[in-house]
Amino acid sequence: METKASIENAASPAEGEAKAPSRAWTDFANALKTDNPVLRLVLGLCPTLAVSTSVQNALGMSAAVLFVLLGSNTVVSLLRNVIPAQVRIPAYIVVIASFVTIADLGIAALSTELYDALGIFIPLIVVNCIILGRAEAFAGKNPVGRSIADGMGMGIGFAWALVLLGGVREMLGSGTVLGFPVFDSVMVPVLGMRYVPMIAFVLPAGAFIILGFMVAYFNYLTLGPKKAETGHSH
Amino acid sequence: MNGTGKLVVVLTAITVGSAVALALVYSATKGPIEEARRQKMVRLLKNVLPPFDNEVAQESEEKSAGKDARGREIRRTVYTAKKEGKIVGRAFQVTAPDGYSGDILILMGVAPDGSLAGIEIVAHKETPGLGDKIAKKEWRETFKGKSLKSKLDVKKDGGEIDQFSGATISPRAVTKAVKEGLSFVEKEYGKAVRSPEHGVGGEE
Amino acid sequence: MAAELALIVLSTVLVNNFVLSKMLGLCPFVGVTKNVENSMGMGMAVIFVIFLASVSGWFVNKFVLVPFNITFLRTVVFILLIAALVQLVETVMRKSFPALYKALGIYLPLITTNCVVLGAVILIMNREYGFFQTITYGIGVPVGFYLALFIISHIREQLAMAKIAKPLQGAPITLITTGLLALAFMGFSGLVRE
Repeated sequence: METKASIENAASPAEGEAKAPSRAWTDFANALKTDNPVLRLVLGLCPTLAVSTSVQNALGMSAAVLFVLLGSNTVVSLLRNVIPAQVRIPAYIVVIASFVTIADLGIAALSTELYDALGIFIPLIVVNCIILGRAEAFAGKNPVGRSIADGMGMGIGFAWALVLLGGVREMLGSGTVLGFPVFDSVMVPVLGMRYVPMIAFVLPAGAFIILGFMVAYFNYLTLGPKKAETGHSH
Repeated sequence: MNGTGKLVVVLTAITVGSAVALALVYSATKGPIEEARRQKMVRLLKNVLPPFDNEVAQESEEKSAGKDARGREIRRTVYTAKKEGKIVGRAFQVTAPDGYSGDILILMGVAPDGSLAGIEIVAHKETPGLGDKIAKKEWRETFKGKSLKSKLDVKKDGGEIDQFSGATISPRAVTKAVKEGLSFVEKEYGKAVRSPEHGVGGEE
Repeated sequence: MAAELALIVLSTVLVNNFVLSKMLGLCPFVGVTKNVENSMGMGMAVIFVIFLASVSGWFVNKFVLVPFNITFLRTVVFILLIAALVQLVETVMRKSFPALYKALGIYLPLITTNCVVLGAVILIMNREYGFFQTITYGIGVPVGFYLALFIISHIREQLAMAKIAKPLQGAPITLITTGLLALAFMGFSGLVRE
């Protein structure tokens, strides 16, 4: 709950700029809760799984995706009356690819470590279905303010799913969170034992399995305990 | 016809606009990107060399080091570290081609007496939790002070370097590459290594 | 030379399988693999497009991006190239091979945003592959993708008949199964170095 509150605070400037604050707010909240791109819509899986080996990488990737999503949603929304419907997809792709290149160059200038860690997944943001999906489904039809709010919500929804997955993987697979040894700091003084990292969770296999259970848990929350029960009451 | 014309005009306008914007961003970030790369290199060089006071990233020379498995020439940039004008060490990158999955890039620093001042793993794709222990500090430290006179092999092969339980290939590959790097120094700078006033006259 | 090319195929199909080891192309992997027929259609279309994209990407890189020193435009150029290629393949297929179009046509538009295609083109460029290596890589990668689709679609057809807890149905159980499959494919690692 705490993280959610802080996320909503962080988003308030964008919401202030929106022409219709209350509507923009609803768009933002919807994007964050009911339409979480990763956990509910199961979109944008490649970067989600590939770079979530640690919380730090997850944060870096999330920031890049948020930047591209905000940029492309803004420009697509501004140009929505100029771009003819027949060529909208190539036009959107050019806009998105441009923002991806800016993010690519920006990350290289800011942090070589992060640039090397994310590697090929920075240019691949361009084919992240969340971004083209939002341009097509939302920004191409709605005013700028609402499109920014939607991009913000989608980007943050993507971010927290990614950070959550990264957190679980780093904790189980390396025994740390953001480099801090969470298990050892308790286990060593109390039990006198060290945590033995479960390597599989840093590897692709662990990523698939953890994300599978996370999506299942979110389905469970949306279905409600009662409905879910009927599925396996045999 | 008019409709098609509009399509072409709009798409072209967007593409040209994008290319112009990107060219601007590119020229603005070019300097900072190079600076970030250079700083990373200096940081790595500090880890593998004894204390120095010169602009080490600028004092480098290109050397050829034979051919690789595909017959392409291997070029090495050798960085020379100096303190008060005296050479205190040289650093360069070697590639271990026989890691568990892909090349391992190693930066190694060699003191003028031919002993290792330190190694850094610059890039690798070894298995997390097994082979990737080569990047750990404790393991890399064991190379310090070793030279061609030491038994530079993993313990399994009768040497002095630790392998890890379940992973011998990665440490063996690194050890082999470092050994090759030491021979390269011996060959290129051998005289400087042996002369008593090493590093003073050997360079010119 | 021949041995090196054979190693590239073995590496891209089994050891560094794009789906199971590099985690690329997951959206179509989860999206279209409910039944075997659709998966194979998608797989064939991807083989077609990746091969063409790899080869034309190699030419564009060598004769346009590098000589004019505009490699920073690679993302924009390659994604446009792929989009144009997909459009071209669709048009040619519809006119000249109606039967093939009937089978594969509906999968073509989805391929533009399949990251296996862009990923393969960018990796070829990053690794500075020669022409023959590019051709081999352009065949090995989609065959690996096809293999992954083949396996998972058969498993999913079986899963459809199993009793699975409701929240786990669909994407979650597919992801978990893929995880186990990836674990099995780890047995191939170390077989070939990339």
